[in-house]
Amino acid sequence: MREAWVVGAASNRFGKMKETGREAATRVAFEAIRQSGLEPKDIGYTFVSNCFGLTEKQGHVGPLINGGLGIPEVPSCTIESACSSSSAGLHEAFVHVAGGFLDAALVVGVEKLSHLDTLSATSYFAEAADYPFETKNGATFPGLYATLASAYQQAFPMKPEVLGSVAIKNHANAARNPHAHFQKEISMDTYLRSPMIASPLRLYDCCPFSDGAAAVVVAAKEFVKHPVTEPLVVRASARAGSITEMQDRPDLLGLPASRAAADTAFRQAHLERRQIDFLEVHDCFTIAELLALEDMGFVPRGTAGTAEVDGVTARDGKLPVNPSGGLKAKGHPVSATGASQVVEIFEQFNGLAKGREVPRTDTALAHNVGATGGSCSVHIFSRR
Amino acid sequence: MTATWALACPRCGRAALLEAPLGERGTVVAFTVLSVPGDEFLNDAPYAYVVVELDGGGRVTGWMPSIKSEGDLAIGARVHFVPGYKPGVQFARDADAPVPR
Ligand SMILES: [Zn+2]
Repeated sequence: MREAWVVGAASNRFGKMKETGREAATRVAFEAIRQSGLEPKDIGYTFVSNCFGLTEKQGHVGPLINGGLGIPEVPSCTIESACSSSSAGLHEAFVHVAGGFLDAALVVGVEKLSHLDTLSATSYFAEAADYPFETKNGATFPGLYATLASAYQQAFPMKPEVLGSVAIKNHANAARNPHAHFQKEISMDTYLRSPMIASPLRLYDCCPFSDGAAAVVVAAKEFVKHPVTEPLVVRASARAGSITEMQDRPDLLGLPASRAAADTAFRQAHLERRQIDFLEVHDCFTIAELLALEDMGFVPRGTAGTAEVDGVTARDGKLPVNPSGGLKAKGHPVSATGASQVVEIFEQFNGLAKGREVPRTDTALAHNVGATGGSCSVHIFSRR
Repeated sequence: MTATWALACPRCGRAALLEAPLGERGTVVAFTVLSVPGDEFLNDAPYAYVVVELDGGGRVTGWMPSIKSEGDLAIGARVHFVPGYKPGVQFARDADAPVPR
């Protein structure tokens, strides 16, 4: 296996895009390649994710992006793994580059939802659930995480302020991130007064529907030779799956795929949990950040809330979590999310995360979940 | 209800599946009350989405149109199947509707 590096990573501002998904994807891809010091013709394959592209009446978007980059002859394909689509694309890029099949690969994730109303967007999001068992019984995406939250609260009773502290932290981080959808801090009072969407989750427990695009360039160390930026060495690229349906899970505490992907990743990287300097985790809902920290073994089950309230996960804490603002406040343009986590780590490593720097940037982990845990990616990066 | 979506057990992988009658009553193990529904439940909100542990074994998911706020239901509540007016699996609290014998 060869050493693979992330040599470029770019994102637009999440929120509402005027341009089409395809245009935004082309733009961030161009920027990521420019950053890397490589040329578009160096790209051997483009892995695109665009779960809801059909709502823009656009499928098969890879060749269009490559055409727009001046490399129509480069092969491409679309990778779908719900909210973990572009980290699944990153995994494919890693496997091909590390395995010697490609020297450099482009990973692009893009989503546009703002042309849909809330009802349509809610319904499209629910399509990543199990249709006959979950959606037909009235589940929505927030509803499914709310169900997990109810089981968690039953096992580990907590005040609403605990989930509130996750929302407040991630909004504070996003307020310092020019890529973020929400760039304003919120107070506990604002959190507590926000309407219940799916009990016990309030509006401010939920990620927004965001448009956005992010791209990552992965290349073999020996192909890059003289990097123009501080590359992220891909120390681990792991994927896992677990039972999707609530009724078939042995228990409702946590997402087994997160645990499995993290265990595999730490084995690959030959690293311990305590060697990770900061994390980007999948906090589509505040409860998901607690589950992520526990599932991946950073804190014991039932204690993530205390870690959040005590400031352990703050930007200047012992283990900063989601310095980007996370899905919760940076936004969650489904297919762009996994790639955008890597953008944050790239910017932190390269001193580009102005105003939201974390204290140590030698090793970082990105955790990206598909829907309610049917799939999960964990990537670990370190400096050269 | 007969479900043929699975050809093997998602927990242990065995392909020797047996058909078994499910209990009609059970206990809520997790739930949420949704105020923002998807398109197929537009006229039903608020309602509860529930995971129910059935008496005699087996878990199912379903929904409860009679639950209008978080306080109307609790984990541990006793519920039973009722004929639904939509394709989903519908439950009611034992306290609210006739319990099958
Ligand atoms: Zn089994």
